Amino acid sequence: MAGILEFAPAIVLLPFLSFLIALGAGRYMPKGGALAGIGATAGSFLLAVATFVAVSGGQTYNQTIYTWAEGLDAVDLTFGLLIDPLSAMMLVIVTLIAFLVHVFSLGYMNDDGQTGLPRYYAGLGLFTASMLGFVVADNLLMAFMFFELVGLCSYLLIGFWFRQDGPPSAAKKAFLVTRFGDYFFLIGVVAVFATFGSAAFAGPDAFPVLAEEALAGEHSVNTFLGMGEQAWFTVVGLLVLGGVVGKSAQFPLHTWLPDAMEGPTPVSALIHAATMVAAGVYLVARMYGFYALTPTTLAIIALIGGFTALFAATMGVVKKEIKQVLAYSTISQYGYMMLGLGAGGYVAATFHLMTHAFFKALLFLGAGSVIIAMHHNENMWDMGGLKEKMPVTYYAFLSGSLALAGIVPFAGFWSKDEVLYETLIHGLGGSPILLAAYAMGLLAVFFTGFYTFRMVFLTFHGEPRSETARNPHGVRWNVKAPLAVLGVLAATAGLVNMVPVEKLFGIKGIDFLHQFLDGSFDSLNAHHYAELIPYSSGYIGGEAGTVAIGAAVSLGLALAGAGLAYVLYNVPEPVEHTEKLGSIKTVLYNNYYQDEYQVWIATGVVQPISRVLDKFDQGVVDGVVNGVSSVSLFLGSRMRRIQSGVVSNYAALLTLGLTALLLGLGLIGGWFA
Amino acid sequence: MIIEALIAVTFLAALVTFVLPDRIAGKAAFALSLVPVLGSLVMWQQYDASGNALLGGNIAFETDVVWLQLGQYDLHWMVGVDGISLPLVVLTTILTTLAILSSWTPISERESQFYGLMLLMEANLLGVFTALDFFVWFVFWEAVLVPMYFLIGVWGGPRRKYAAIKFFVYTNIASLVMFIGFISLVFGLGDSISSLRLPEIAQALQAGQLSGFAGLSASALASVAFIAMFLGFAVKVPVVPFHTWLPDAHVEAPTPASVMLAGVLLKMGTYALLRFNFTMLPETARSFALPIALIAVASVIYGALLALAQQDLKRIVAYSSVSSMGYVILGLIAYTTYGVGGATFQMVAHGLISGLMFMAVGVIYNTTHTRMVTDMSGMADKMPVTAGIFVAGAFGYMGLPLMAGFAAEFFIFKGSFESTVMAAMPLFTGAAMFGIVIVAGYLLFAMQRTLFGPFEFDGDYEITEAPFHDVAPLAVLLLLTIVLGVQPDIFFTMIQEAVNPILELGGAF
Repeated sequence: MAGILEFAPAIVLLPFLSFLIALGAGRYMPKGGALAGIGATAGSFLLAVATFVAVSGGQTYNQTIYTWAEGLDAVDLTFGLLIDPLSAMMLVIVTLIAFLVHVFSLGYMNDDGQTGLPRYYAGLGLFTASMLGFVVADNLLMAFMFFELVGLCSYLLIGFWFRQDGPPSAAKKAFLVTRFGDYFFLIGVVAVFATFGSAAFAGPDAFPVLAEEALAGEHSVNTFLGMGEQAWFTVVGLLVLGGVVGKSAQFPLHTWLPDAMEGPTPVSALIHAATMVAAGVYLVARMYGFYALTPTTLAIIALIGGFTALFAATMGVVKKEIKQVLAYSTISQYGYMMLGLGAGGYVAATFHLMTHAFFKALLFLGAGSVIIAMHHNENMWDMGGLKEKMPVTYYAFLSGSLALAGIVPFAGFWSKDEVLYETLIHGLGGSPILLAAYAMGLLAVFFTGFYTFRMVFLTFHGEPRSETARNPHGVRWNVKAPLAVLGVLAATAGLVNMVPVEKLFGIKGIDFLHQFLDGSFDSLNAHHYAELIPYSSGYIGGEAGTVAIGAAVSLGLALAGAGLAYVLYNVPEPVEHTEKLGSIKTVLYNNYYQDEYQVWIATGVVQPISRVLDKFDQGVVDGVVNGVSSVSLFLGSRMRRIQSGVVSNYAALLTLGLTALLLGLGLIGGWFA
Repeated sequence: MIIEALIAVTFLAALVTFVLPDRIAGKAAFALSLVPVLGSLVMWQQYDASGNALLGGNIAFETDVVWLQLGQYDLHWMVGVDGISLPLVVLTTILTTLAILSSWTPISERESQFYGLMLLMEANLLGVFTALDFFVWFVFWEAVLVPMYFLIGVWGGPRRKYAAIKFFVYTNIASLVMFIGFISLVFGLGDSISSLRLPEIAQALQAGQLSGFAGLSASALASVAFIAMFLGFAVKVPVVPFHTWLPDAHVEAPTPASVMLAGVLLKMGTYALLRFNFTMLPETARSFALPIALIAVASVIYGALLALAQQDLKRIVAYSSVSSMGYVILGLIAYTTYGVGGATFQMVAHGLISGLMFMAVGVIYNTTHTRMVTDMSGMADKMPVTAGIFVAGAFGYMGLPLMAGFAAEFFIFKGSFESTVMAAMPLFTGAAMFGIVIVAGYLLFAMQRTLFGPFEFDGDYEITEAPFHDVAPLAVLLLLTIVLGVQPDIFFTMIQEAVNPILELGGAF
């Protein structure tokens, strides 16, 4: 295996190659370029697995491979690869899901006779490549650059059906809202360079290490605007966080994500599970050594996460379209990851990132399968009874739903439980903010269980409620196979990190993910982060007791939510119960009017301002210019009288002028002195 | 001698084109314009200079002969390039050729004159960027205006006369103000200089030879001269509030003239600012850091907000040029490698990308005969290739990484954030950076309305994909933008070599 990490650039380049092939030659190829994408992502996946194995064996890789801009008497701006457990794990996730999405697309796009397939597969290829480039980035600038390319690709794919009105609008919103976040991120990148002279994640110039040493007083770094180091690092951390909040669809920049459902469903799976939305959280994990230094930033991350988890979950309970429910569940689940990161649970959050990638990709592809069957009708109230018609989809979807709801032993249970557990013990250790965030996260578990199983029951159980639901369109192997793979993963992926089992029963060594993430560079491993975080732990009745109580409460709430859904919706003829919510229903349907105020800022504030400025510009600024010119035109018309056309007059004027000029120059120049 | 050859060949090409029959003028002009492209590429390949041409650096392809004597001053024919001017020379030749190609479809009257003027303008632009003697430089500088005046005034839209005269008079008056400022410096230098060669003047100023003049102390004179020159160049750039001639000129100008105006002519202003104000009077510039940074931020934000209010695609791109030029000013005042280097890089990057955008708008206009956002939708359905390049170009304009605009903007932001000219530079940088959000706003809105959605068009014209010779220049520009974005060092290394000596300049008085 020696030297396998040398091939890591190929993981990124293969999908890029498939982008070029699909773009250039896709129209001449069978399946519109799909095969190139499938081949490329399969190759990337195999390489990623090999990389993962090598990293498990203790290898790491941190190498600059390209100088983007060489600074003369200034810092070089470079691209490089950083392969450590975190990025190796993410590489496997991204390439696997990208591969499955490509295969699934054969069923969703090709079999459905869609047009524009080369454009579609080119977009998928570039999307995958950009995300992989982001994952392996060894410095913040490179990360930002690929982060932006990920944004571009999501724009292109969300707006894939550009001949309709909705998708281009949703694509625009997605790019614009995340751009707003990236604005802060870019300032953060610039600030990191200005502060540390380097933006590397690892190695001797790693900026988190420099920051740590600066706080320890070992050397000084540049700070700005008269701030001390702690305050300035907090500012920088929050600036970068702007990009995270935008991409990972956290409150208040989450509004683009539900709209992004306008894109093809496989794209939604890719965006939500492995690429765009994951990018934000991954970034926090990537530079966790920096965030761990500033308690304020951590607290804000935890609060944003906890609040978003609850806030999005409540909106998920009233949605009618299956993909809308999934969209809000994505926002909510990324809230958990943020909560975990903010609460000092680096491994827990990374764990949830992994399990969520599997079960969310599964749920979206499952929803895609249902949508094929329903002839692109997404309304759950038109479905029902699909369980018998499409058993593979049903059981896979059920596996994903159990994972999402957090039912033991499915993947989501373990990771969500660990996130909540870390939040709880660090909250008990003397951080009321974390306890508040914990409470929100815990409450969200109930809603999650409810909306998840409401979705399952409405879609698959009961009697078919429409003609298409009685005679659904069949799906082929290219849809079923990805579902089966992900269905197994959603059921089992959590077993890699059964911390509660370890703690309750004292079985040592089954926290594989902890051990794995500890195998990184000294400054990037989980152990180091655990030392950095500013929290102490507190327990209710000892460690084992806390584990047991935490797990029991969250499992109980999840089951309660699922049970309520069972009572209300697992009936042959379910009816809407949202009326009982009264005016809350209206608020939830309208997503707490978040879209309204953001649209109002754009069209009610910024646009009128720009129109007023336009009037001001044409009236006043240009008015002055034209005014000056009319004054001079008027003067010119008077002056014209001098231009009599008589040559001797001109000669006289010329002589006069020259004399005056010479006199003036002479006086100023002191010739007569 | 290659510079003389370059300028002379371009002049000759212009003359030849003038007398050719209209039928073949376009194709001939295109073929002839490839010669200067080749010449500039040879220059780039054989470039061996280092340092700043004005500050005693090694000048490439230098010629310096006494031309004629004027009082105490020798007028020299002095030309040459350094890392600041060579990229602009290459930009000029390439953009002119592509602009000529993009004229084939829209220009159908007085073709030989049109193409002759385009080449004449190119020759003068090459003179502006290579001249190192003030007199020579000023002659070229003024001579650029004449072809552009006719290009707008003859081949322009309905209000072409107003726009052409406004452009000519406004920028000409500005030149006068600048001229007075510069000449007062020359007087202030007195006997310490014997020619108007720019290196000699810059070095005399550096050596502290400036004395008082006309009752002003040396430093007051420097301030007055700085302000006068700044105002003069500011109109050319243009920066807020001297920008109002630009949208009018762009809207009325035919597409190729717009391409040249935005792509190269605006860079004359920023180039001159760098050469004169920021190189010759660095200490004065630093003392004016606050107002200059304010002007930069105002140009970026105000220009972008105005772009947001426009319905005419060309006005959108025109105002966004004001915004982009604001970044250049921000980079210049930073006085850091990445700041000033990034500003120079932005001149090239914006030249390519704004050229691309104006051409793309032109290609759509050729088919639809309208540029109003409200008049069309879903154009991507009928013109997929053009729309695809339009989208790519627009993202380039928004500063998408791995395209030239991002490199330029990132360099500028980085350079200005860590600048030491003022403690508040991070705040100004942060404020100016908000431009990247607004630019995304107006370009995404414009694309959504015109390119996407169901196809709708109210005109009588049949909408089809543009011919190859219309799309090809777009593709070339897009490719160049990506190449420069992936490998900015193609120009950035030489730019830094020329820029760094400026940063080392200390106070002269």
